Amino acid sequence: MNFPTLIAFEFPPINMLLRWQDVVPTINKVVIISIFSTLIGVGIFLAAARKNPMVAPKGARNLAEIIIDFVEKQIVMQTMGPTGLGWTPFLLTIFIFIYLNNMPGVIPLIQIPATARMGIPAFMALMVWVVYNVTGIKHQGPIGYFKSVLFPPGVPKALYILVTPIELISTFVMRPFSLAVRLFANMLAGHLLLVIFALLSEALFQARDRILIPVGVLPFAVLLFLTGFEIIVAFLQAYIFTTLTAVYINMASHAEH
Amino acid sequence: MEALATIVRIAAEAGDAVVDPAAAKNISAAASAGHAYGLAAIGPGIGIGIIFGKAIESMARQPEAAGMVRTTMFIGVAFTEALALIGFVAFILLKFA
Amino acid sequence: MLISTIFLAAEDLGPNPIAPENKELLWGAGSFLVFLFVMRVFLVPKVKKGMEARYNGIRGGHEAAQAARSSAQRDVAAYEAALVEVRNEVTARIDKARQTLDAERQAKVIEANARILAKRTEADTAMQTARAASRGDVAVAVGSVTTRATQLVLGKAPDAALVKRAVDNIMGGSRS
Repeated sequence: MNFPTLIAFEFPPINMLLRWQDVVPTINKVVIISIFSTLIGVGIFLAAARKNPMVAPKGARNLAEIIIDFVEKQIVMQTMGPTGLGWTPFLLTIFIFIYLNNMPGVIPLIQIPATARMGIPAFMALMVWVVYNVTGIKHQGPIGYFKSVLFPPGVPKALYILVTPIELISTFVMRPFSLAVRLFANMLAGHLLLVIFALLSEALFQARDRILIPVGVLPFAVLLFLTGFEIIVAFLQAYIFTTLTAVYINMASHAEH
Repeated sequence: MEALATIVRIAAEAGDAVVDPAAAKNISAAASAGHAYGLAAIGPGIGIGIIFGKAIESMARQPEAAGMVRTTMFIGVAFTEALALIGFVAFILLKFA
Repeated sequence: MLISTIFLAAEDLGPNPIAPENKELLWGAGSFLVFLFVMRVFLVPKVKKGMEARYNGIRGGHEAAQAARSSAQRDVAAYEAALVEVRNEVTARIDKARQTLDAERQAKVIEANARILAKRTEADTAMQTARAASRGDVAVAVGSVTTRATQLVLGKAPDAALVKRAVDNIMGGSRS
C-alpha cells in the first residue's frame, strides 16, 4: 500500500501491551503489582493497628476505618445482613486486593491493571467458587446443598427437567466464569481504550503534517476523561466483585425456601 | 472525486493483497470480531439502561430505600454487563487469537 | 537495568491474550492468600477492636453527658419547686396580712359605728329629756295660766288636779 500516511499510527500486537519481561524468573510487572498491593494493604492496616484507637482517627487509621465501614455497611449489611458480619475480613481483603490491583491502570508510568491479565481474576473467581461451595456444604450438608441448588423448592416437578441443568451450569460454571471474565474484561477493555487514545494522541502530536498537531488535543482530552472514568471503574469492579461474592456466600449459607 | 478515487484504489489494493488463505482468514476474523462485539453490546446496553432508569425511579419514590436499591442495581448491572463482556472476550479471541 | 526491565514488554508474544499465565496466577494467589491470612488473623480484628473501644468510649462519654444533663435537670426542677414553694408562702403571707388588715378595718368600722350609734342614742336621750323637761315647764305654765284664767272667770281657783288632767289631755291630744 503506497499511499501517503498522514500519521504514523500503528496498533502494536496486543500481547506487547499486556505481557512483560521477567525481572527475575517468573516475576514480571504484573506479579510485582500484585505483590505490592499486598504490601500496601498490609502496610495501611499495620499503620492503622499501631495507632492509638482512642483518639480521633487520622491518616492510615482513618483510611482503614473508612474501608472497613464501607465494606460492612455497603456490602455485608446490604447483602448478607448482620449474620454475615463474620465474613467482613474476607470480603474486605478481596475488596482491597482487587482495588489495589485495578488502580495501577491509571497511575502514570505503571499503567497496567494487574487484573487486565487473566491470572488474578481467574484465581479469585476459583477461590470464591471454592469458598461458597464449601460454605454451602458446611451449612446445609452435602446432600442438602446440592438438593437446594439443583432442585430449588417451589418449582413444579415437571419443570425440573429444564431447571436443573440451568441451575447446574449457572451455579457451578457460569458464576465463577462470569466473575473472572467481568473483572478481567472490564479492566482489559479500559486498558485498551487508554492505549488506543494514548497512541492516537502521540501519533497526532508527532504528525509530519504540522496542521494535524493541534488535533491531537482531542484524543488527549478523551484520554484524560477516560482516565477519570477508569478510576471509577477500578473502584466499581472491586465493589461488584465483593458484592457478588457476598451474595453467593449468602445464597449458599441459607437454604432457599 | 479524487478522494473517492483514492479510496477505490486502496480498496483495490487491499483486495489484491488477499491471496493467501491465512490472511483471508485474519481479515474475515477481524470483521466478524467487530460484528460480534457490536451485536453483543446491543442487548446489555438496553438492559443496563432499563436497570438504571428503574433504579432511579424507585430511589426517587422511596429515598429511604436508596441503599438497598443501589446494591441490587449494581448486582443486576453486573449480571447484565457480563453478556457484553463475553462479547468483548469473543472480540479479543477472534481478533487476536 | 533491573528496574527498567519492569517496564519492558515481553519479547515473545506468548499465548492467547485472555489465557491466564501460570506465574501471574500463582504469584497473585500467593500474595492474596498472605494478605488474607494477615488481615484475617491479625489486622482486622485489631483495628475492629480499636474501633469498638472508641465507639464504646464515645458511647460512655455520651452516657456521662446524659447523666450530667439529667442531674442538672433534676437540680433545675428542685430549684423551680423551691421557687414555687416560696412564692406560695409569700402569697399566703400576703393573703393573711390582707385578711388581718381587713379584719382590723372591719372591727374598727364596727367600733366606730357602735360609737356613732351610742352618741346618737345619747343625743336622742338628751333631746328626749330636754323635750320632756320643756313639756313639763309648758304644762306648768299652761296649768298656771289656766288656773289664773279660770280664777279670773269663775272667781275661784280650780282644782289643781283637774287642771293638770285637762292640760295633759290637751297637750297629749295635740301631741298624738
